[in-house]
Amino acid sequence: MSPFNVPWGKAMMWMFLVSDAFTFGALIISYGTIRFSNPTWPNPEKVFSAFPGLGEAYLPLMFVSLMTFILILSSVTMVRSVQEGVRNNKAGVVKWLGLTIVGGAMFLSCQAWEWTHLIMHHTTLSGNPYGPAAFGQFFFLITGFHGFHVFSGVILNIIVCTKVAKGDFEAKGYQIVENIGLYWHFVDLVWVFVFLAFYLL
Amino acid sequence: MQDYNRAVRTVWRVTLILAVVTIIEVVGVLVYPKEEAPMLPLQLFVITLTLLKAFYIVAEFMHLKYEWKTFILTILLPCLGFLWFILAFLWDGTHWLNQRGMELYECLPGLFG
Repeated sequence: MSPFNVPWGKAMMWMFLVSDAFTFGALIISYGTIRFSNPTWPNPEKVFSAFPGLGEAYLPLMFVSLMTFILILSSVTMVRSVQEGVRNNKAGVVKWLGLTIVGGAMFLSCQAWEWTHLIMHHTTLSGNPYGPAAFGQFFFLITGFHGFHVFSGVILNIIVCTKVAKGDFEAKGYQIVENIGLYWHFVDLVWVFVFLAFYLL
Repeated sequence: MQDYNRAVRTVWRVTLILAVVTIIEVVGVLVYPKEEAPMLPLQLFVITLTLLKAFYIVAEFMHLKYEWKTFILTILLPCLGFLWFILAFLWDGTHWLNQRGMELYECLPGLFG
C-alpha cells in the first residue's frame, strides 16, 4: 500500500526540490530584505540593457528575455523526452534529452557573457555604478547559485542521456528520465522567480 | 497513443502560454509610465503573471496536477511557510530603513510610491 502512488526515487526528488525551494527562497527573500532597507536601488532596465555583438545599443531586458526563452524551451524538450520514455521510445528520449543539454549549455553561455559584461562595466562584489554594493553581491550570489544548478543539471542530463543511448534502461524503464526532468523543470521554475526579483521588479 | 498525442499537444500549448506571458511581462515593464504613475499596479501585475507561469511549470511540466491529492498536498502545504517567510523578512527590511530615519514610501517609489 502506498499513500502517494509514486516511485520512491520520484518522491525523494520532490522532497529534495521542496527543500531546495526554501534555500532559493531564503536567498531571494534576503535580497528583498536588503532592498527594502535601502533608500535607493539600481534600475534593472539601466543595468541590463546590453546585447552581445550590438555594442552600446540600448536594449533593456532583451538579452535576459532571450535567456528566459532558451530555458523555457529546454524545459519543453525535457518534457518531450519524458513523454518518449513513457512509451519506451529510446531514440526519442535520446533526441529530446540531447536538445535539452544543448539548451542548458546555451543558457550557461549566455550567463557567462552577462557576468563578463557586468564585471567589465564595474559591477562587482565590491560595488557598482548604479547603487548599493549589495545589488551586485546578491546578483552574483543568486544567479551564480542558480547557474550552478543549471550546470549540475546539464551534467546529470549528459550522464543519463549516455546511459539511455547505451541501452542501460531498456529493461527497467525510463523513470530516471522523469526524476532528472523534475530537477530540470525546478531550475526553470527558480529562474522565473529570479527573473521577477532582479529584472522585472 | 491517443493519450500520447493529447499530452504532446498540451506541452506545446503550455509553451505558448509561458512565452506569451513572458513577453507581456517584459513589454509591460518597458512601456509602463514609471515616472508619473504609481509602481504598485505594475508590481502586482508582474507578480501575478509570474505566479501564473509558476503554476503552469509545476502543474504541467512537473506533472504535479496529475498526481494523487495526498502527494500534491505533501509538496504544496510546506510551501505555505513562504507566506510568513516573505512577510516577516520584508517587514524586517522596512524596520531597518526606519531605523535609518527614513520612511519606505519616501525613498522607495519603486515599491510603494
